[in-house]
Amino acid sequence: MAEAQGAALWLGRATFVALGVAVIFFALLPLDTGVPRWAPPDLLLALCLAWSARRPDLVPALSIAAVALLADLLYQRPPGLFAALTLLGCTYLKSRARSLRDAGFWVEWATAAGVTLAIAVSYRAGLALVAVPQPPLGLFLVQAMTTVAAYPAVVVASRLFFGLRRSGASDPAGARPGA
Amino acid sequence: MARDRTTSEDYARPLKRLLLGLLVLCLIAVFLVWRVDSPRVERFRAQVVDTVVPSFDWAMAPVTATVNLARDFRSYQRIHEQNRELRRELQQMRSWKEAALQLEQENARLRDLNNLALDPQLTHVTGVVMADSGSPFRQSVLLNVGAHDGIVDGWAAMDGLGIVGRISGVGETVSRVILLTDSSSRIPAVIQPSGQRAMVVGDNSAAPLLDFVENAEAVRPGDRLVSSGDGGVFPPGFLIGQVAEDPQGRLRVRLAADYTRLEFLRVLRHHGTPVIEGPGALILPQDLAGAQAEVPGDG
Repeated sequence: MAEAQGAALWLGRATFVALGVAVIFFALLPLDTGVPRWAPPDLLLALCLAWSARRPDLVPALSIAAVALLADLLYQRPPGLFAALTLLGCTYLKSRARSLRDAGFWVEWATAAGVTLAIAVSYRAGLALVAVPQPPLGLFLVQAMTTVAAYPAVVVASRLFFGLRRSGASDPAGARPGA
Repeated sequence: MARDRTTSEDYARPLKRLLLGLLVLCLIAVFLVWRVDSPRVERFRAQVVDTVVPSFDWAMAPVTATVNLARDFRSYQRIHEQNRELRRELQQMRSWKEAALQLEQENARLRDLNNLALDPQLTHVTGVVMADSGSPFRQSVLLNVGAHDGIVDGWAAMDGLGIVGRISGVGETVSRVILLTDSSSRIPAVIQPSGQRAMVVGDNSAAPLLDFVENAEAVRPGDRLVSSGDGGVFPPGFLIGQVAEDPQGRLRVRLAADYTRLEFLRVLRHHGTPVIEGPGALILPQDLAGAQAEVPGDG
């Protein structure tokens, strides 16, 4: 049984990394090269936060860091800063995962929204600290808000398509993805 | 089993903390190194893009094509309306074509009379757009041509009509084009009938700002804007767009290139404009030329 659990654990971890790469891939598709009027949600951040809050065992720090750094490099952002903030935010959610599970979805969503905003604010603060030109504030805030709005959708999609369920108290071993 | 888990967690927790701290430190170190020594990290970024994006390419092209197909299918719904519009446009185009043909013939005759040779150095490399920037804050596209095809940083990229942007970041097989709409793009330009010089300043909107205009009163919305070649940035004389005025009264540029669907881009090979230093000996006698060089700013 321990082996089966181990295999499912690694399958879940691999699924997370593959999902992250897929999100980056779809963002890079040259579908609309014009200037967007509004900022689409940062799905990668929402994905990292949702999986951290629901199944902390499937998102080790190393895979979050790797996926976020790859996104930094490919999205032409200053490399490292956003990845570090994503990692810190996810770690905070992971440490709160147990209490979030008992508190219900609204509290979880509010916490994720708080983390998203904190990441956005500290990202701008970090850029300002070393005097790097910043993205326009309005668009940036819109992106933070759309990311918060996309969070429930990411949770539902993860649950429907990848069987991501919280390891609840009634199920000590935790439901495995694909089970 | 429960006891096992707690004992293993006793060892695992400090280790995890340590790993986490190290990771965060590494990421922040990458950021600081990027800030201090940007070219090196940007070269690393170009290498990463060079390896990652072409490996996506087999999937990117079909997925993009499928999504575009679905979009085209949706536009079939208004096909009748479009058809009528196209007919009307075609009618107008025919008259323009007639005028253009006559002008072309006249041009050819005049060139022949002048014995004029067009710049033979200005050739181009055509590349396919593989990916865009993926972020709403950056306006750039990746082309599938790179250092292997002789692409050099700073060359101009255009679609069929107008300038789209400039090459910034060349990998072995890919190169990045910073579009004119990106907030870090600055291009020197000339406004056509009045001959005023200006800068086209990208600000992450569809119509870049027109800045540093010498005499804004002499510029009217609708004037043509072409690249000036100042500073050796671009070859001179390529169409950028038309001047427009926004509701706040600032001058902006309506770009000639179709930015919504960038598929194929031409990268212009440009080997720099030769700089003329001092008067030539043929124009002035030797002694006079020497005297002029001593008094700069005269005449």
